Amino acid sequence: TQCNMSTTTELDAQLDQILPLELIDKCIGQRLWLIMKGDKEIVGTLLGFDDYVNMVLEDVTEFETAADGSLTQTKLDQILLNGNNICLLVPGGEGPLTVETNVA
Amino acid sequence: HRAPNMSHQDKNNRGQQDKEKPKKENILDLNQYIGKRVYAKFNGGREVVGVLRGYDTLVNLVLDECLEYLRDSTTFKVTNATRKLGLVVCKGSAVMCVYPADGTEEIDNPFMDAEGQ
Repeated sequence: TQCNMSTTTELDAQLDQILPLELIDKCIGQRLWLIMKGDKEIVGTLLGFDDYVNMVLEDVTEFETAADGSLTQTKLDQILLNGNNICLLVPGGEGPLTVETNVA
Repeated sequence: HRAPNMSHQDKNNRGQQDKEKPKKENILDLNQYIGKRVYAKFNGGREVVGVLRGYDTLVNLVLDECLEYLRDSTTFKVTNATRKLGLVVCKGSAVMCVYPADGTEEIDNPFMDAEGQ
């Protein structure tokens, strides 16, 4: 019956899924692009993170987009980033300069 | 002042009863959207769309083929311009809402009269 079919696919969906924190864990040692809630973005090598997704990063470039659209970059060595304002994490991401943009 | 009618023992018992309550369940079962295209809106105004690959109890999400909708730098209104992010993790603490891409369509402004003024 239809009910049985949906149960099977539900279980399959759960088994095949990628857990978010596992994906971040796989990213340790690699480049990571972080997009904050506001207009700040960070690209760095992930050294580690905790339960709150506070992160330790190195070789960091901080990108800040101002109201007029201008982009400021700052270079930092090793940082502890407060996870409070993290919105998106892009494993292997290179940052806002090399990203592909499309106007629909 | 001591709270009226409340002995030390009563407070302890109530504490134990609270522990027996069932764990908090999610009102939205994201399992149904796995493998499907969903929109996610965030605190701070960002909007993305992507294929849901995974989630957890904190509503952290894994989205594949993710596109972020760009906003106008003056009005901060969302445009149809996008940038390609790929496989991303969305932080649950920032997620404001999640909805299926299939179930939405753009309609004419129902508040036209109010705006005309």
